[in-house]
Amino acid sequence: MAGLSLKSLHKSYGEVEVIKGVDLDIEHGEFVVFVGPSGCGKSTLLRMIAGLEDITGGELWIGDKLCNAVEPRDRGIAMVFQNYALYPHMTVYDNVGFGLKLAKTPHDVREQKIREAARILQMEHLLDRKPSQLSGGQRQRVAIGRAIVRQPEVFLFDEPLSNLDAALRVDTRMEISKLHQDLGATMIYVTHDQVEAMTLADKIVVLNAGVVQQVGAPIDLYQRPANLFVAGFIGSPKMNFVEVKVGAVNGETVTVSGQDVLNLQLTKPAASLGVGDTLTLGVRPHDLTPVASGSILGRVALIERLGNETIVNVELPSGASWLAVLAGDHALTRGESLTFNADPAKTILFDKAGNAVY
Amino acid sequence: MAAAAPTSHGKSRSLYPGWFFLPAAVIYAVLFLAPTLSSFYYSLTRWTLFNATFIGLDNFVQFFREPFLVQGLINTVVYAVITSGLKVVLGMALAMLLTSNIIARGYLRSVVFFPVLVSTVGVGITFTVLMHPTQGMINEGLALLGIKGPGWLVDPKLALFSVALVDVWKGVGLATVIYIAGLVAIPKDYYEAARIDGAGPWQNFLYVTLPLSRPATATVITLSFIGGLRTFDLIWAMTKGGPGFASDTVASVIYKQYQAGFYGLSTAGNVVLFILIGILVVPITMFLNRKQGHE
Amino acid sequence: MRSRASVLGGIVAILASVVVFLVPFAFIVLMTFKDQRQAALRDFSWPTGFHLWDNIVTVVTTRNWMLVTAFVNSTILTVASVTLLVILAAMVGFVLARRKTKFNGLIEFLILAGLMIPPAVVPTITLLQGLKLFGTLHGMILIEVAYNLPFSIILYRAFIATIPRELDEAARIDGARPLDVFFRVILPLLWPVTVTNIVVQSVGIFNDFTNPLYYLPGNANATVQLTLYNFQSQFNTSFNLLFTNIALITIPPLIVFLFFNRQIVAGMTAGAVKG
Repeated sequence: MAGLSLKSLHKSYGEVEVIKGVDLDIEHGEFVVFVGPSGCGKSTLLRMIAGLEDITGGELWIGDKLCNAVEPRDRGIAMVFQNYALYPHMTVYDNVGFGLKLAKTPHDVREQKIREAARILQMEHLLDRKPSQLSGGQRQRVAIGRAIVRQPEVFLFDEPLSNLDAALRVDTRMEISKLHQDLGATMIYVTHDQVEAMTLADKIVVLNAGVVQQVGAPIDLYQRPANLFVAGFIGSPKMNFVEVKVGAVNGETVTVSGQDVLNLQLTKPAASLGVGDTLTLGVRPHDLTPVASGSILGRVALIERLGNETIVNVELPSGASWLAVLAGDHALTRGESLTFNADPAKTILFDKAGNAVY
Repeated sequence: MAAAAPTSHGKSRSLYPGWFFLPAAVIYAVLFLAPTLSSFYYSLTRWTLFNATFIGLDNFVQFFREPFLVQGLINTVVYAVITSGLKVVLGMALAMLLTSNIIARGYLRSVVFFPVLVSTVGVGITFTVLMHPTQGMINEGLALLGIKGPGWLVDPKLALFSVALVDVWKGVGLATVIYIAGLVAIPKDYYEAARIDGAGPWQNFLYVTLPLSRPATATVITLSFIGGLRTFDLIWAMTKGGPGFASDTVASVIYKQYQAGFYGLSTAGNVVLFILIGILVVPITMFLNRKQGHE
Repeated sequence: MRSRASVLGGIVAILASVVVFLVPFAFIVLMTFKDQRQAALRDFSWPTGFHLWDNIVTVVTTRNWMLVTAFVNSTILTVASVTLLVILAAMVGFVLARRKTKFNGLIEFLILAGLMIPPAVVPTITLLQGLKLFGTLHGMILIEVAYNLPFSIILYRAFIATIPRELDEAARIDGARPLDVFFRVILPLLWPVTVTNIVVQSVGIFNDFTNPLYYLPGNANATVQLTLYNFQSQFNTSFNLLFTNIALITIPPLIVFLFFNRQIVAGMTAGAVKG
C-alpha cells in the first residue's frame, strides 16, 4: 500500500525557484495526472518524486517512508520516460530484466518475471530484438514492461505518448488506462495534453509556474475551474473571456454588461456581488447559441464547417476574438453580424484576482 | 554537518561522482602538469647532473643571442607554416578529388591515408635514402627526365624544406580525411541552390565549399600547426638538425642540449616552445573559431 | 554514369598515387629481398636473389634478439597504456559531459593545454627518477597515458554528449549505482569511439619515438622505434637489414589499417570536426 504525500515541496536551481511549495496527497491506487504548460514544473515535480532531482525543501512521503534522501531504487517506484530510454545495446529481454539483474535476482525468477511482463503487454515475440528494430509503439511497450517488472508501488510516466503518432496515442492511452485497472497501482502521469489528462485521470493536478492551481476530478475542473488559468487551460477549444460590470443583482439572477455584452442574465453565484463590480466573464465555446437578439454581439470573422458542428470565429466590438462551436451545420458568411446568448448555468465569473466566483 | 546527516534531508548521491576524474587527474597532474610548471623555474637555472643554480634569464638571453639557437626558432616557425599550409591546400584538393565521382576512390583514399599510420622514423630513414643526392632514387628518377636533382638534405638552404615535404607526404592523409568528413557534411541543397543561382564550379568552391568547410580547416590548421611546431622525430631521423644547424628546430635543440648536459638551457627551450605555441596557436584558434560562429 | 573526364582523371590520379605513395613502400619491400651488395646500390631494381628470410633472421637475432625484446616491450607499452587511456578518458568524458560545475571550465582548459603544450623533458626525467619510474616500462606507460589523455577525452566527451541522459536516469531507477551506469550502460554504448581510440592511440604509441628516447633509455627497454635508431649506425652499410627492420615494424600498423580502415576514418573525423 503506497499513497504519496507531498508536504510543502520546494525546488530551486540556485536563485531560481521552479517548484514553489507543493502540497498534495495521493491515495493508493489513484491515477493522478500533472498537467500544465511547458515550463510549469510538472516534470520537475515528477522527477523529484522519482529521486532524479534533489528536493530543496519540504517532505516527500511514499507510503509511510520519508523519501527525501532515499535512492530512486529504494523508493518503490518505476518510471517510463518520454523518449523511452531503452538501452540500445541490450535486447528487449535484457532491457526489461536489467533492474532485476542489478538487484541480483536469481536467474529463474528473473526469467519468469520478464515473461510475465511480456505476456501482459503482448510482446513475447519481441524479446530477442534490439530497440532499434522496434517501432515507436513497441518501444513504448518495452518501456512500460521495464516498469512493470519492478512491481513498483508507484508508476511514474513522463509525457510517455508525446513521441507517438495520433492514432497510436489513442490506443496506448487506453492500454495505460487498462493497465492501471489491472495492476491497481498508484500512477502519476505528466502531460501537457489536456485530453490525456481528462481521459486518464482520477485526479488532475493543474500546475502553473511551480504552483498548484487546482486539484480535482477531471469533470470538476471542467465545470468548476478555480481560476482563470484552469478555466483557460482545461477544455478545448479554450474558454472565451471578456470583461464585464455588474449591472443589477436580482434575487436568483445577476445581470452583467460591458463593451461587448448587453445585459446578459446569469445565475447568481452564492458569493455576494455588488452593482458596479468589475468581473471577467468566461463562456465555453460550446455554451454559446446564436439568437435573434442576444446579449453578446459580434461579427463573423472565420467559419469552419465540419458538418456535425460549425466553429465560428467571432470578432466582438472591443476587438476581442471569441470562438463559438455550434451544433449542426450553419451556412454563415464572413462579415455577417451575429448575437449570442450564453447558457446562464454554465457561465463563470472571475473576480479581479482571477479567482472564480461561485 | 554534511557527513552527519546522510538520511533525512541530505542530498541524494550524484550519478556522476567527482572521483571519476581522480585517476586521470592524478596521472595528468603528476606526470604532465607538475613538470610543466616546474620547467618555468628550471629554465631560470644553470642545471647540471649535480645541482641547479639560479641564474635569472641568462638561458633565454643565450637562446636569443646564439645564432644557431635563433636559427632553430625561425626554422620551427617556417616548418610549421609550410607543413600546415601545404596540408590545408593539398588536403582540401585531395578531399575534393576523393569525394568526386572518380574511379578507384576506395583505393585512393586508402593509399593516401596509409602513411599516417607508419612509423615516422621509418619514413624518415626511407626518405633519407631516397633523397640521397647522387645515389637516391628521387634524383636518379629526375636524371632520367634530364633534370639534375638538388642535394635535398645536404644543401643547407634546402634541408628544412625537404624534411617538411616528407612531413606533408606522411601527414596529408589525415588532413584529407578530416576534409572529406567536412565536405560530406555539406548538404547538397547548397550546391543545387547555387546552381540555380547560376554558379559555376569555381563559384561553387569559393562561395559554398570553402566557407562551409571552415570547421575542417580550423581542425587541420590547428592540429598540423601544433604538430609542426613540436616536430622532433622526423627531423632527428632525417638530418639530426644538419647540415650544421640548418634544419634544427626548437625540439631538436631541446634534445641536443639535454644530451650535452645543459639541462637548464634545454628546459628553457621547452619554455620557449611553450610560449611560441601559446602566442601563435591561441590567436589562430580563436580567429578560426570566431569566424565559425558568425555563420 | 561516370563521364569520360572523370575516368581519365581517375587514371591520372592512380598513376600519381603509385609514383608518390606506392613507390616508396615498394622500395622498402624490394630492399628486404636483396643481399647486402645489391642493397648498397639503393636503386629501384628487382632483387637478384631471394634473401628475405636471411635478412629477417639476421635482423631478429642481432644484438642478442633485441628486436624481439623490443616487440615485447612495445606490445606491453601499447596494450597497457591504451587500456588505461580508454577507461580513464571515458570516465572523465562521461562526468565532464554530464555534470555542469564551476570546475568544467578549468578542466577544459587543462585538456586544451595538454593538447598544445610540449612536455617539459628534463623536469619530467627528474621527476621520474624521484619516483623511481625513470627507465621503467610502467613509468613509460603512465607517461603515454598522461600525454594522450586529452585527445581521448575530447573524442569521448563529444560522443557522450549525444547519448541521452534519460538512459542514465532509467538505469538509476533500475537500481544502478554510478559504476553500474558507467560500465554496463555508458561504456558499451561508447564502442564506436572506443574502437577509434584504440586504433589511433595504439598506432600513435606503437610508433612513438620521442618519448621512449627520453624516458626509456637502455637496450633492455628498447621499443621497436628505438631499434631503428639503434640499428641505423650499425646497419649503415647494410641497407637490406635496415629496411627489413623498417618493414617488420610496419607490419602491426598495416594489420590495424587492414582491419579498421573504415572505423578510423569515421571515428577520427567525427571527433575532430565537431570538436
